Amino acid sequence: MKTKSPLTAPVAVALAGLTWCPFVAASPLADTAVGTGTVLGNGMSASARAARPLDPEWPVAKRTPTGRMFDLPFAMPKAEELGKLASGWEYSGQIEVGYIGGDADERNAQYRTYQDTDNGGQLNTFSLEMRKPDSGHYVEVTGGGAGRHDQYYGLQFGRYNDWKVKVFYSETPHVFTDRYKSLWTGIGTANLVLLPGLTPGGTASIPADNASVAAAAASVAPSTLSLVRKKGGVRVDANLSASWKAYASYSMEKRTGARPFGAVWGNAPGTAPIEIAEPIDYVTHDIFAGVTHTDPLNVFNLRLSASIFENKINTLTFQEPYRIAPAPGVTTVPAAGAYTQGRFDLAPANQAYNARAEYTRKLPDFYKGYFTAVVSAGKWRQDDNLIPYTTVSGLSLANVTVLPGGSWDSTGALSRRSTDATVDTRLVDLTLSLNPTSDLNLKLKARYHDTQNTSDPYLAVNPNAVYVDADAATAGAQTRGLTYNGVTGVWGRLLNDGSGQNLLFGANANAAGNIPIKSKLYGSEQFRFGPSAEYRLNSVSTVNASVERESISRENRQRDRTWEDKAKVGYVNRGLGDSSLRVSYEAARRRGSTYVSSYFDDSFSAALVPMPTTAGANVTSWAVRMNTQMRALDIADRDQHVVNVRLDTILRPNLDAGFSGQWREAKYPNSTYGRTAQNQRSANVDLNYQPSPRQTIYGFYSYQIGENKQATLGTANAALTIGQVTALGTVTPANAIEIGAGPGGPLFPLLNLWTGDSTDRNHVFGVGLRQDIGKAGLNLDYTYSTGRTRIAYEYTVGGAINAATAPAAGNRMPDLATDARYLDASFRYPLTARITARFLYRYQTETIRDWHYQNLDALPVVPAANGAAGLPTVVALDGGRYNYRVNWYGVMLQLKL
Amino acid sequence: MKSLPILSLVPTFRFGIVAASAAACMLVTSILAKPKAAVAPPPPAPLNGGAEYVGEAVCIACHAPQNKQFTHTIHANAFRINPRNEKEKLSCEACHGPGSNHLKDPANPANRVSLVGFTKTWGTPVAQQTAMCLSCHEGGQHTFWQGSVHATNNLSCSDCHNPMAKISATGLLKKQSINETCYTCHQQQRTEFSKRSHMPLPEGKLSCVDCHNPHGSTSKTLLKMDSVNETCYSCHTEKRGPFLWEHAPVKDNCMSCHNAHGSNHEKLLQVARPFLCQQCHANAAGHQAVLFNASQTIGGGGTPNSRMLGRSCQNCHSQIHGSNHPSGARFQR
Repeated sequence: MKTKSPLTAPVAVALAGLTWCPFVAASPLADTAVGTGTVLGNGMSASARAARPLDPEWPVAKRTPTGRMFDLPFAMPKAEELGKLASGWEYSGQIEVGYIGGDADERNAQYRTYQDTDNGGQLNTFSLEMRKPDSGHYVEVTGGGAGRHDQYYGLQFGRYNDWKVKVFYSETPHVFTDRYKSLWTGIGTANLVLLPGLTPGGTASIPADNASVAAAAASVAPSTLSLVRKKGGVRVDANLSASWKAYASYSMEKRTGARPFGAVWGNAPGTAPIEIAEPIDYVTHDIFAGVTHTDPLNVFNLRLSASIFENKINTLTFQEPYRIAPAPGVTTVPAAGAYTQGRFDLAPANQAYNARAEYTRKLPDFYKGYFTAVVSAGKWRQDDNLIPYTTVSGLSLANVTVLPGGSWDSTGALSRRSTDATVDTRLVDLTLSLNPTSDLNLKLKARYHDTQNTSDPYLAVNPNAVYVDADAATAGAQTRGLTYNGVTGVWGRLLNDGSGQNLLFGANANAAGNIPIKSKLYGSEQFRFGPSAEYRLNSVSTVNASVERESISRENRQRDRTWEDKAKVGYVNRGLGDSSLRVSYEAARRRGSTYVSSYFDDSFSAALVPMPTTAGANVTSWAVRMNTQMRALDIADRDQHVVNVRLDTILRPNLDAGFSGQWREAKYPNSTYGRTAQNQRSANVDLNYQPSPRQTIYGFYSYQIGENKQATLGTANAALTIGQVTALGTVTPANAIEIGAGPGGPLFPLLNLWTGDSTDRNHVFGVGLRQDIGKAGLNLDYTYSTGRTRIAYEYTVGGAINAATAPAAGNRMPDLATDARYLDASFRYPLTARITARFLYRYQTETIRDWHYQNLDALPVVPAANGAAGLPTVVALDGGRYNYRVNWYGVMLQLKL
Repeated sequence: MKSLPILSLVPTFRFGIVAASAAACMLVTSILAKPKAAVAPPPPAPLNGGAEYVGEAVCIACHAPQNKQFTHTIHANAFRINPRNEKEKLSCEACHGPGSNHLKDPANPANRVSLVGFTKTWGTPVAQQTAMCLSCHEGGQHTFWQGSVHATNNLSCSDCHNPMAKISATGLLKKQSINETCYTCHQQQRTEFSKRSHMPLPEGKLSCVDCHNPHGSTSKTLLKMDSVNETCYSCHTEKRGPFLWEHAPVKDNCMSCHNAHGSNHEKLLQVARPFLCQQCHANAAGHQAVLFNASQTIGGGGTPNSRMLGRSCQNCHSQIHGSNHPSGARFQR
C-alpha cells in the first residue's frame, strides 16, 4: 500500500479551504421536508461533475425497478489510495483550478441572469472528505465559484449515525437588465437624484423636458440592474435515541441590488409613466426546529418555524424630470412644478410563524391500516408605519377644509398610522388507510386549510378634514364629514403623490359610486375530502381510482364558494414485457355559488352615497363595473381533463427509452368573457445508451404546446342615466347596475367583442456523449431550445378597433420568439496519477424577439400622440433582453489530494 | 365566508397548541400505555426463503466492485463504523436480507427470490423493496410516502436512489443531480426549465426539492409547504405581506398568473401582458377592456401605447403583489 506523507489534522482542514472537486454539491439542508436551499452549485458545476472520471469496474446497464438505467458512478479511491493522518483520519479530495478566456465575461442580462461566469483565473470547484474510522467522525467540505456572485461553500461534520452539523454559504445573482439608462444617481438607494441637466419637477416647457430626458437617456451608459442573494446558514441534527431525532436550523439571506420599477402620475389611467429603479436591501431570517419520533407503530414529527423579513429601505423617493400638472380640484404651492419628487412605500417588514405536528399510527390489527393526522397553525404579521399620501406641503383640495393635524402630507390624513395586518393559517389533514385484502388498499382523506386575514380593513378617509358646502340639500355654507364604519371625514384617496385624486365630493363636487373607500381583505377556506382505492391485479400491475370534492370559500370575491369534483383513474404495469406503463386520467368539474360582479360595492363610495333616483341623473359611476358575464379565471366554472401516459422500455440490453405525454384541456363553460380555455399538450422521448463504462450516449426531444383563450367586451365611452332607454330596457334605480354591467347595454356594446388566442409552442432537443479515449475522456452536452408565442385576436372593425387602426392592428401580434443553443465540451487528460488537465469549451447563444421591448433601447422616451408637445406615453428606460452569442474556453487542472 | 363552526371559534395559535398537544398526548399515551409485547414490531416474514445471514465478507468476495463504491456511501460508513442496531451491523444483508440461499446458486435467475434486489432484472416486488428501505427510513421526511402520487404510481425507492454507489454528490441518487433524477420521469418540466424565463435550476442554484418533497407531503403536488403561496414565500418573503391593499388572485394563488417552472414570457407569466391581466380585468371604466394590438408597439404603424411597451400594465401598476401605501388601491405606489 502506498502511504502518503502524513499531515496533521489542522493542516488538512486548512487545505480544505483550497481544495477542489468538480462534483460534490453537498446540500445545505438536504431535507426534503424542511426549508429551501437543498443544493449547492452553480452554472459551472454540471460541466465539472459530468467530466469527472467514472468507475470503469462498475457493471453497466443496471436498471431501476422501472427499467431505466442508473448512471455510472464516479470513480472513487480505493482504500489504499486514501490519504491518512497520524491521528487516524482518512481523507480524499480534489481541487480544480484554471483559466477561462473568451466571452465568459459577456454582460448580456439574458446570459447572466442566474450565473456569474468571468474570464481569468478560476477556483472552480473543490472538495474534501475526511473520516476517522475508529470514532466515526467525519468532515466534508465543498465549494466552488470562489469570488464570484454564484459562489457556494459547504461544510458538514459530525459522527455517523449520531449527530451532524451543516454550514453553508451560497450566492445567487439575478440580473434583470444590462440596458437600463438611468436618469438618476443613487440607484440601489432610497433616493434617486436626477442627473445634472434634468430639472426636478420639470420646466414650463414640455418639449424642452422631453428633449432633456431623451438627451440624458442617450448620453448615459447602459447600466445593469441586478440583485444578489447571499444566503448562509447552519443546521444541527442529532439522534437523541433509537427513536427520537431533533434538528434546528438558522439561515440568513441578504438580497441587495435594484430592479426596474414603474412610476406614474395623475388620475387614472395615469400620465407620464417612467421607469425608475427599485432598491433591494432585504434580509430574511429563517429558523426551523423540530423533533421526530419513529417506532414500529408510531411516527410523530413536530416542527416550529419562524421567518422574519426586513426591508432596510422602507421608502423610495425619486426626483421627477417632468412637470406634472395637478389633477382637477387639486391645488399646489407653487401652482406649477410642485411635484419635484414621488415616493413609494416599499415591501414592508413582515414576520411569519408556524407550528406543525404530524402523527401516524399504524393499525396492524385493523385491516393492516394506518391513520395519519397533521395539524399546522401559522401567523403572518405586518405592522409597518404608513407614510403620508404626498411629500408636497400646502396641497389643498377644492371644497375640502383640512382641520388641524390633517394636512395631506402628514399621517394625520390617514385613518391609522400603521398597517396592523395579520393573517392566520390553519391546516388539518387526516388520512385513514386500510387493506381489507392483501391486494386492495383503501384510503379516506380529508383536508382543511384556512387562510384568514383577521385585520381590520383600511379605511381611505381623512378623519381630520371636512367638506365645504357639499350638502346640496342644505341651504347655505356649512362643513361636514361623511360617516362610514364609525369614522367621519373626507373619503377617498389622493393618488400618486397628490397629483391625482379619487375623492368623494370635495374636489369633483359630485357624488360618485365607484371610489374606493375601504380595502378588501382576502382569505380562503379549503376543505377537501374523498376516498381512493388501489387494487393489485397481479404481481406487476395495479389499478387505482379516487374521487374527491374540494370546496373553497373565499372572502370578498365575486363568489363566496367554489367546489370542484375530481375523479381519477390510473393503471400501472411494471411488467409489460420489458416495459413499464403508467397511465392516468383525471376529470375535474368546478362550479360555484352565484357570481356577483358587484361584490366590491361595500368598499366603494356606493356604500356611502346612494345612487341618484331622479330622472336624467347620471348613474354611470354606480353602475360601472365588470360586465356581468365576465368571470375571474381562478373562480370561474371549469371543466378540466388531464391524461398522463408514460412508457419506459428496454429497447436493447444497453439501450432504454422513455416516452411520456400529457394532454390537459380546461374549458370555462360559463365564462362568456374572461379566460375561456386553457390547454396544454406535451410529448417527450428520452434515449439512453450505455454500451460500456467507457461510452455513454443520451438524447431527448420534447414538444409542448399551450393555449390560452380569452374574450373581452370592450367598453363604450357612454353614460348611463335614469330613464335612459337602452337595448336592455329603460334604466331605473333598480336595474341600473344590471343594465350598466350588462353585455349589450350602452356601456358594453356587443360590437366591441374581441377574442384573443395565445399559443406557446416549444421544442427542446438535447444530446450528449461521454467517451473515454485511453486515459483521456471527452464529454459533450448540447441542447437546443426554441419557443414561439403567437397571440392572435379577432374583432369587428368599428367595434373594438376602428377602421383607421385596423390595417395596422391586423389579426395578431408579432410572434414572441426565443431560440437558445448550448454546447458544453470537456476533454480530460491525466498528466500524472494525481493531476489531470481539463480543456473546456462553451458555446451559448440565444436570440429573443419581444415586441414589448422592440426599439425601446433606441427610443426610451416614447412620445405621446401629439408628439413632443405632450407628456410622453412612457419613458421606458429598460431596453429589455436581447441576443447574445458567447464562446469561451478554459484550461483547468484537477488535483487529487 | 363561513368557517367550520368549531375551528372558527378557536384562535389560531391556541388551535395549534391544542392540536399539537393532542397529537403529542396520543403519541405518549400510545407509547406508554401499550404493553411491550404490543409495541414490538410484528415479526417479519422470513426473508429470502428462510435463509441465514452469511456476513458481508462473503458478499464482498464476489462483489468487490460494488464494495469499492459502497465503501464511500453514508450507508457503509454508518453501518460499519457506528451501527445503531444489530440490523445495521449486517451491512449488505441489512438491505438485501440473509444471503445463504443466494449462495447456493447465485447465477441462476430462478434463484433471485433468495435475495432482496432493487433492480428491474432482479424482480423483487416493489412493496418488498420499499418496506426494506422504510424499515429504517420511516418517519421524518418520509412520513407521507404511503398515499403519495409516487407511491400510487408504484415507484420504488430505487427508481430514484442507488444506495450502492456514488452516482450523485448527495442523496445517493440514480443520476448525478437531484434535477436530472427528477427529469427522468418529469421530462415536461425539463422543457419548461429551458424556456426563456425559468427558475434557476439549470444554473445549479435551485433544485426540485427546494419546493417539492418527492417522498410525499400533505399537498397533492408534493409541495413542502401547506399551500402554493407559502411555498413561494419561502424565497419571496417580501411578497408575503399582508399588505394594506391586496390583490385577490395574488393572495389566493401565485399560480393564478405565474407558471412555477418556466415560461415563454417574462417573469414566469402564463401569458404575455397586457393580455394576461385582461383575462380578469375588463371593467367598463377606462383602459382595461381595450384591445391593445400590434399597431401600438413601436413601429407598429399606429400610436404606441404604454400597455404594449416594456413592463406593460406594470409600467403603472408596479406594486401588483400588494401595496402598503395609503394611495395604493390600484397598486401604483
